[in-house]
Amino acid sequence: MRLLNGLKDIFDVFVIELRRIAADKGVILIFFIATLLYPLIFGAIYKKECVRDVPVAVVDESRSDASRRFARKLDATPELDVRYRPASMAEAEQLMQQRRINGIVYFPKDYGTDLADRRQAHVALFCDMSSFLYYRSVFSGASAVLLDEMEFVQTERYAAQGVTGEAVEEQLSPIPFDDVKLYTPSAGFESFLVPGLLVLVIHQTLFLGIGILSGTTREDRKTLEMIPRRLRHKSIYRVTLGRALTYLLIYMPVVAVVLFTIPKLFGLPHIGQTGELILFLLPFMLATIFFCMTAAAFIHHRDSGILCFFFLSIILVFLSGIVWPQSNMPDFWRHFSYLFPSTHGMQGFVRINSMGATLKDVSFEYHMLWILTGAYFITTGVLTYLENYRQLKRGELLRHIRLQRALRSNTPHKRHHLRAADKVDEAAQQ
Amino acid sequence: MPQDRHPHPLALVIHRELMRIKRHPLYLAFLTAGVVFSYIFFITLMKEGQPERLPIAIVDHDGSYLSRRLCHELNATEGVEVTAVYNSHAEARHAMQRQDIYGFIEIPEGAYADLLAFKAPHMALYANNAYLLPGQLSYKTLATICRLASGAVHCEILRKKGMDEEEIMAMVQPIVLDAHTISNPMANYQPYVLTTVLPGIVGLMVAILTIYIVGEEQKRTTAREWLKCARGNMAAALAGKLLPYTFWFSLLGILGNIVFFGSQHYTLQGSFMSLVLLTVVYIASLQAVAVLITALINDMHMAVCVGAIYTTLAFTMSGFSYPVTSMPPALQAFSFIFPLRHHYLTYVDIALYGAPASQWLPHMLPMVALCATFFIAGLIMNRQMVRYETTK
Repeated sequence: MRLLNGLKDIFDVFVIELRRIAADKGVILIFFIATLLYPLIFGAIYKKECVRDVPVAVVDESRSDASRRFARKLDATPELDVRYRPASMAEAEQLMQQRRINGIVYFPKDYGTDLADRRQAHVALFCDMSSFLYYRSVFSGASAVLLDEMEFVQTERYAAQGVTGEAVEEQLSPIPFDDVKLYTPSAGFESFLVPGLLVLVIHQTLFLGIGILSGTTREDRKTLEMIPRRLRHKSIYRVTLGRALTYLLIYMPVVAVVLFTIPKLFGLPHIGQTGELILFLLPFMLATIFFCMTAAAFIHHRDSGILCFFFLSIILVFLSGIVWPQSNMPDFWRHFSYLFPSTHGMQGFVRINSMGATLKDVSFEYHMLWILTGAYFITTGVLTYLENYRQLKRGELLRHIRLQRALRSNTPHKRHHLRAADKVDEAAQQ
Repeated sequence: MPQDRHPHPLALVIHRELMRIKRHPLYLAFLTAGVVFSYIFFITLMKEGQPERLPIAIVDHDGSYLSRRLCHELNATEGVEVTAVYNSHAEARHAMQRQDIYGFIEIPEGAYADLLAFKAPHMALYANNAYLLPGQLSYKTLATICRLASGAVHCEILRKKGMDEEEIMAMVQPIVLDAHTISNPMANYQPYVLTTVLPGIVGLMVAILTIYIVGEEQKRTTAREWLKCARGNMAAALAGKLLPYTFWFSLLGILGNIVFFGSQHYTLQGSFMSLVLLTVVYIASLQAVAVLITALINDMHMAVCVGAIYTTLAFTMSGFSYPVTSMPPALQAFSFIFPLRHHYLTYVDIALYGAPASQWLPHMLPMVALCATFFIAGLIMNRQMVRYETTK
């Protein structure tokens, strides 16, 4: 019977919370529009994945056959585009300053003769460091050409010694290697960043939505309504559970679209098992909801909630270990990051979704999420209790008297009295 | 002197605003704490500059001297550290999925014997690209070590043939690439990420605060008194309200620059004073845009939302991580309205290239142009006030 009552209470809270959400246009906007809009924006921005045809300049002082061949090969790489051939380094530097090029390849005067005389020849490469993607493209493009060109020269030199064919191969690379770039072969920016960000979108929209709901409620000084009247002296946990259930149910379709449909739609990696993902996302959602409810207890204004949201989003991206590896964070920040469900959520989702990991592989994250669920569930309960207790104490006496009278009278006017008690309550608060 | 009896309206509004801050210092203190926290957070988080000693593994099917040798060579680099030796490919794959390692190298069976017999044993390198930075860095180190190992064997062969060292080097490495990373010799991540992310965070704070304080005047119906204080001059009223914050956040930004270039030793080719100017113009342009947002959107909650989205989108649209030139053309044009974008371009000119003023001033001009939105906002708000008065 107690259980049945409890379930009924939870259901009541569920309905009340649903009404509150439905009444707030801003929250509806965040829960259903923003969650879809963010992935679309990311998709549009990072559509090209990689930086291709980065403009570079070639300064060729050797004017030799070899340097021209090198430059031709540079132009042929997908990464680079030899757009300028200035006569001097000074000119090239100016082009770099004007941001027309992102790299300079310089062949000194004796490049050609050194090669012809079987000496070591030198090439200088100058990389623009204003963005790491430029640096990566310029460096990897030039390195690839360098290796190719070296092999060409070496083969020539061996041929001059009368060594040809397979014998050259064996001598040139006694330990050849194949490289396998796992999970996102193109090393694309989108496939690396966006899956993590999708999880963060879920985490942060919940944070903002719940924060705004309670911020608005507090601004209107209706805090007591966070708990329905009938339940005020009963279990706080029924209220907490009921509210959490609301968010969980509302977010089920959202999660389905954002984390399951969008990766497929955008061609992001999605090699994870659906079952494993669902099992992993359940504690993630619960931990996130309770975390947000706990955090919301400290948000007293709608606008400070919004500021916290955006500030936290930036910090959480860097704490997640997606941008900066977890293994290289100072211990303090790594342990700090464990407090946020988003860290585990992003790590786990990326590994299951993009790398095909199983639940066993992410067991640390999985267990941490359950621990966080428990911990934040308790803190939510305690904070809700404290807040309501404090509020109650103020208008308690007046309310108590009125309520007792209303209950005792037990007439058809009871509801009227109760409503009167409400008004007194509100007056007392103000 | 008449000026003494009638102080300039601007001075009056500034005084009024300072009194307001004195009465409610919590907002400003909160935001300042946020800025200080972010500086400490980012600088300590990335104190390595470039991730070092990334965990990798060796899958050894050979069980010979070769794996030990490779292990020593790899551990001698600063990029990676061999944390495990596995017996099978599957084990290593699972370790990768557990995030224990970012890459591994697989040595085939009989590799050492093959090597001694000149049979070219085939190695395989695996790197995790789902984590771009550590995956690529560990791959780079692994590939370098493999090439070096190859080169060492090659050297040995040639030495046995009786070549002298110079000839050997010319054979093993006929072309040498001297790579120079301009103004960032260590390829350090900090100056690249922080010099844009931290001004971005300051910008977020400034924009939201501006929208909040201007919106608050309208919301709390103190706007009349405010305008009266400025003798009905909307521009003076707005400027007086914003200037204390311009000063305060510019100061924070400049202090941040002192931390960057003073204690963190980022490269600064140009003059520090031009960076000071950059910070002030950046803060002012953000405030101007924020005022425009407040003037255009009457609902303050909505205005705060729009302002926040605008300033956070700026992180992406500044193009410091993913170049703007690789975005769709429509978005490239869109990047113009973000002061952070121009801040980034100007910063690169000043700090990384030490370019002359004629070079970086054009990048600063759009920010000055954005400052002009301040007057448009003033006009709009003036009209709103007039309409408000007449309806009364």
